[in-house]
Amino acid sequence: MSVANETFNSILAQPESCFPLELGKRNRNIGKLLRASLTAQWNPATIIDWDGLDLKPFTDEQRQALRVRWSRRAWGEYGAIAESPALQIRFCHDRLDADTRLYFAVRTQEESRHAEISYRLAEKFGGYIDAPAEEYLGSVSTHGIRRLALDVDVPVESTIAALVCSAEQVILENFMHVLKLTTQPDIRRVYQLILRDEARHCAFGWYFMAGRLPLLTPAQRGQVRDAVVTMIEKVELNGYQLAWLAPDSNASRDQIEGDRILWQAGLGASVEELEKPVLISSLRAIRDRMKREWDIQLPVFHHPKTGQI
Amino acid sequence: MTNEALTRVPRETRFPLNLAVSIPAIDRLYEESKLDIWAPADDVDWTSGQLDAIASEQLQAARRVWSRRAWLEYTGIAETPALLLRFCLERGREVDAKFFLTVRNTEEAELVDVFHRYSELLGGYLVRPADPAWEPVINRRCHSDALNPEVPLDAYVVAHCALEDGLELELFRAYLANAREPLARTLLERSVAAKTRHARFGWSYLEWRAGSLSASARGDVVLTLVDWLRKVAFAGYHVPSLATAVDSAPEQQAQEIAAAAGLGAATAMQEEHVLRDYLATARQRLQALGVALPAVSHPRLGPL
Repeated sequence: MSVANETFNSILAQPESCFPLELGKRNRNIGKLLRASLTAQWNPATIIDWDGLDLKPFTDEQRQALRVRWSRRAWGEYGAIAESPALQIRFCHDRLDADTRLYFAVRTQEESRHAEISYRLAEKFGGYIDAPAEEYLGSVSTHGIRRLALDVDVPVESTIAALVCSAEQVILENFMHVLKLTTQPDIRRVYQLILRDEARHCAFGWYFMAGRLPLLTPAQRGQVRDAVVTMIEKVELNGYQLAWLAPDSNASRDQIEGDRILWQAGLGASVEELEKPVLISSLRAIRDRMKREWDIQLPVFHHPKTGQI
Repeated sequence: MTNEALTRVPRETRFPLNLAVSIPAIDRLYEESKLDIWAPADDVDWTSGQLDAIASEQLQAARRVWSRRAWLEYTGIAETPALLLRFCLERGREVDAKFFLTVRNTEEAELVDVFHRYSELLGGYLVRPADPAWEPVINRRCHSDALNPEVPLDAYVVAHCALEDGLELELFRAYLANAREPLARTLLERSVAAKTRHARFGWSYLEWRAGSLSASARGDVVLTLVDWLRKVAFAGYHVPSLATAVDSAPEQQAQEIAAAAGLGAATAMQEEHVLRDYLATARQRLQALGVALPAVSHPRLGPL
């Protein structure tokens, strides 16, 4: 395994005991999410009649746009498998309530099925693409969550606030918007199922923060705020989810054009002019909620395509 | 393991990101696992137990056995995400294994919940061993090993996912064989189903990788296996009676009483038989895959 030179104060190097192992200390709200996740399972292999899905109604252009879009989704979902599990290690290290520790296991499994179904859709529509174009790499690569989750000096609350209450909340609301525009039944079904899972993931973040924020020092609250700002400015507004926010390149232009083709046909995408107000509304709602529930004030954000948010 | 190794940030090369099936046997396990996810709170009739007729001494013994089971299962709650991260950090590792590990962790969460709930019914879950000397034995910090770049991943998988999970499976089969109390049986049947898949994962992965392991990599595997036997198995992690540094008499007594009461335990003697038989079979299986596991001597039982 190749290893970078950067070192940090990792929880892995700290002495740790799981005892006393409290399993009765619960978080009722997160416990409900755990139960809901376990009873709302779905299987990408069977949720769509893959053999029966007729490709004839789709134009070549649409198929190509679909394979690009779902490949991109697969890369994004894979990040939740390759990085977010570090948060679960952190939850155990920090001895959080049992529901939080157990729920996150199921949450990772849900992310794997999102990656799987995205891959299957890309394959179905012409073949999964295993890497973004070089100039687009910066917009879809790591969030740095793994490193943050394992760093003793970074409160896990800041990572959850940034990853879940900000980034995932933006995705959730974008997906709700895209779902309304999607008429193709199979793609619509996939969006519905992913949305159901993602709604729980976001709810987890807010429930988690509600329980943890009162325990944080002013300095840690500052870290929460900084992490949220970094996630919004450096990741979301850099085009991690929405291609039209990414720095201009041939690849991002292709993606934007592909999404337009899909939007016109009701195939599960949207376009800048429709997504922009949704994004602005999402970010404003996040700012309002963090102020109202956490007493944390986010700054005004700026992107050339949106102006001030 | 050095602390330095654990404070470095492993570098991931994510792309090209292959998401195609690479190991059909593990892909099948993944598919099976997805179909067998259940909710302990909803899918088990927690009132179906017949514990009222069981003597207090027997309930107390079983409570001790099942609490310990929860502690052991809990190891996976941090270990499996660490192992998943490790698979993702190593370039070219197969997506089937990654996907499977995500479901494995769900199953571990289910079992932790189940063992905790049943311990509660038996009189109350215990948050730690009565004898503190057990704590370092059980507190293994596998998640650190799984992410330690000094521990080769293949060696880790063979030791922990094949050999160790295989032993766990056989032990759970023994617990099930002794379980007459209906709820204990139900829970152990669920456990055996999950643990069968977990063990198959480890062995399937070794079968897949065996052909490409260098002599040096095989040597690493053997060293890790021997290390695991000496430091984990022989320390009494799974089979308490093997412990030589901790007095296991109270555990053995609890096992004996719980087993006799049909509450899903195995006696120390039964567990040791399971271990001997399993190691003999596993050694042959490893040998067939090019891994020569030497006999390792236990202070009381001799070479195993």
